[in-house]
Amino acid sequence: MTPGPLAANRDLLALVLDTLVPPDDAFPESGALALDHVLAMAAASAEIESLLSRLLEAVESAARGGNVRGFSELGAVQREDLLRRVERTLPEPFEALVRHTYDGFYSHPATITRLGLEPGPVQPRGHRIEPTALPDLARVAARGPIYRRA
Amino acid sequence: MTTDDRTDVLVIGAGASGAAVAWRLAGAGIRVVCLEQGDWVDARAYPHWQADWELHRHTDWSAEPNVRRLPQDYPVNDQASAISPLMYNAVGGSTIHWSAHFPRFRPSDFRVRSLDGVADDWPIDYATLEPYFDLNDRMMGVAGITGDPAYPPKSPRQTPPIPLDTLGVTIAGGFERLGWHWWPSDSAILTRDYDGRRACVNCGPCDLGCPIGAKASTDITYWPKALAAGAQLVTRARVREITLGRDGLADGVIYYDRDGRERAQKARAVVLAANGIGTPRLLLNSRSARFPDGLANRNGLVGRNLMFHPYAMVRGVFERPLGGHRGPIGCSIISQEFYETDLSRGFVRGYSFQVARGLSPIASANGGSVGDRVPWGREHRRAYAERFDRTITVAIIGEDLPELENRVELDPGLTDPHGIPAPRVSYTLSENSRRMLDHGIARATEALEAAGAREVSFNPLLRAGGWHLMGTARMGRDPATSVIDAEGRCHDVPNLYIVDGSVMVTSAGVNPTSTIQAVALYVADGMIRRRS
Repeated sequence: MTPGPLAANRDLLALVLDTLVPPDDAFPESGALALDHVLAMAAASAEIESLLSRLLEAVESAARGGNVRGFSELGAVQREDLLRRVERTLPEPFEALVRHTYDGFYSHPATITRLGLEPGPVQPRGHRIEPTALPDLARVAARGPIYRRA
Repeated sequence: MTTDDRTDVLVIGAGASGAAVAWRLAGAGIRVVCLEQGDWVDARAYPHWQADWELHRHTDWSAEPNVRRLPQDYPVNDQASAISPLMYNAVGGSTIHWSAHFPRFRPSDFRVRSLDGVADDWPIDYATLEPYFDLNDRMMGVAGITGDPAYPPKSPRQTPPIPLDTLGVTIAGGFERLGWHWWPSDSAILTRDYDGRRACVNCGPCDLGCPIGAKASTDITYWPKALAAGAQLVTRARVREITLGRDGLADGVIYYDRDGRERAQKARAVVLAANGIGTPRLLLNSRSARFPDGLANRNGLVGRNLMFHPYAMVRGVFERPLGGHRGPIGCSIISQEFYETDLSRGFVRGYSFQVARGLSPIASANGGSVGDRVPWGREHRRAYAERFDRTITVAIIGEDLPELENRVELDPGLTDPHGIPAPRVSYTLSENSRRMLDHGIARATEALEAAGAREVSFNPLLRAGGWHLMGTARMGRDPATSVIDAEGRCHDVPNLYIVDGSVMVTSAGVNPTSTIQAVALYVADGMIRRRS
């Protein structure tokens, strides 16, 4: 299959995703973890492919308008400022990109692990809840019936 | 067209109510055939077995048929509705993806006109349904604890309540500090092995189904017993219309089988159990010279009085981890402090608080039911860390009153994959409901703050919250103001029964499935009694 325009711009897309979810010292994983998911969504839907491709074109175009060769040459703060301008211009594609980025990033095993959860399927393992005594219901029960007899 | 052998009773829909009716009738020796447009859900097919399980919530396991778009689904035009209808089409119906919160209607819910001067009284009451509530609890298996002063005494619950965990204990503390009612909610989820089913392992996403059968869905509760009693269940069978005999009685249906072939199933009686949208849709699609405006619709009420439960969602953010990813997603605590009418509040009738679990990783980022997405960019890390595993969401589930203009009709252009006209839903939130939800938002904020929340936000009306589809073929004694009688029979066609949420005269301020199933069992017993 011939990659769509989005896949052909995966380096730019990864930079954009990293700007949406930047790394920090405590959480070094960044938005580019969502790259495969975002590309998969685009490959599965011509509508998403079109929306996100249009967005990337707008990003690169806006960057070149600022006397640099592209988005990659901007610093982190400049990248974010530029994306905020693009977000105001193309709110719908931008909303889609953020949503798919969060979906991909927060379902990635590396992220799940960093959040302190166990990655992988939730079955069959489930979760252990430590047995604790039920809070005392005496006060509530002592009120007597609070329903109307009908 | 192939015509199947005539049966005693044909049930349309294998969900919450259809399964209950089929089981009860088959157990009495009545020949039952059930047609279900969906299929069995293979336990191995649930997303819980996959690492990316949470992604499926917004794709193939969405509760919205317009998002899911599976072959067994039909589209719903909800552009004119403030709330999107949710449903699942399979053996088990919407009990496949429900959260299994299982409160009953209260006695006053059946006497709304007499007590509060609004809507209508039901022709049956709590006492009539009480044995059916108990029977249904035994069939579904309920976790809970007796003694709740919000209800008449109940029979012992089948298993102990769902564990409250840190999250539940925290919000219970808020209710305690305010002196309000709260109780561990009745949940149709097993905390101990019961009736051949396993106990819950607290994996979390019950709304995507339960692959181990701890959560009650009727494919694993009623249906195995119904089939053992002799009921026949035909899946991937989509009913196009109900047919009439020369005597004006229902004599069966025309449906499309799994290969798309048109077939007829004849029956002595027909039971509709296709939910509060599917049932009026089918009646309106069943036109004839005798019923030009749709079957059993001489008074024009089929499809009218649609009730959802309008939900407002209030979320508190806390300083410490709450473990909200553990345990059944929809269940821990119910509060009915503001359930009964108090006109000083500015509205009639009332609501419940339903406290669910916390948000999973993706839902935390996208804002969950409150919908406020975590900001992207430099602020993202801090904002996400403040929210993840530190939120409690209180749902306000308000009683919706019947309104003629809230309705289900047939869409003039939209059809399902078989070319059958699809439903169009019109729904506007009433002023009474708006005031009720606003009151609930303010009180839930108090409860969350009393529990220690440092920040509270809310969604005034959950659009994707149409879980409960009610009122579109209402029960009543007067044929001029209702579609079915007190025995579940259509006034216009006495061998055509309706047992799903369509029959609800009022909606109460709690989840309806327990009551829908109790009504279905009650109607089934009436059929058995008349037959004998």
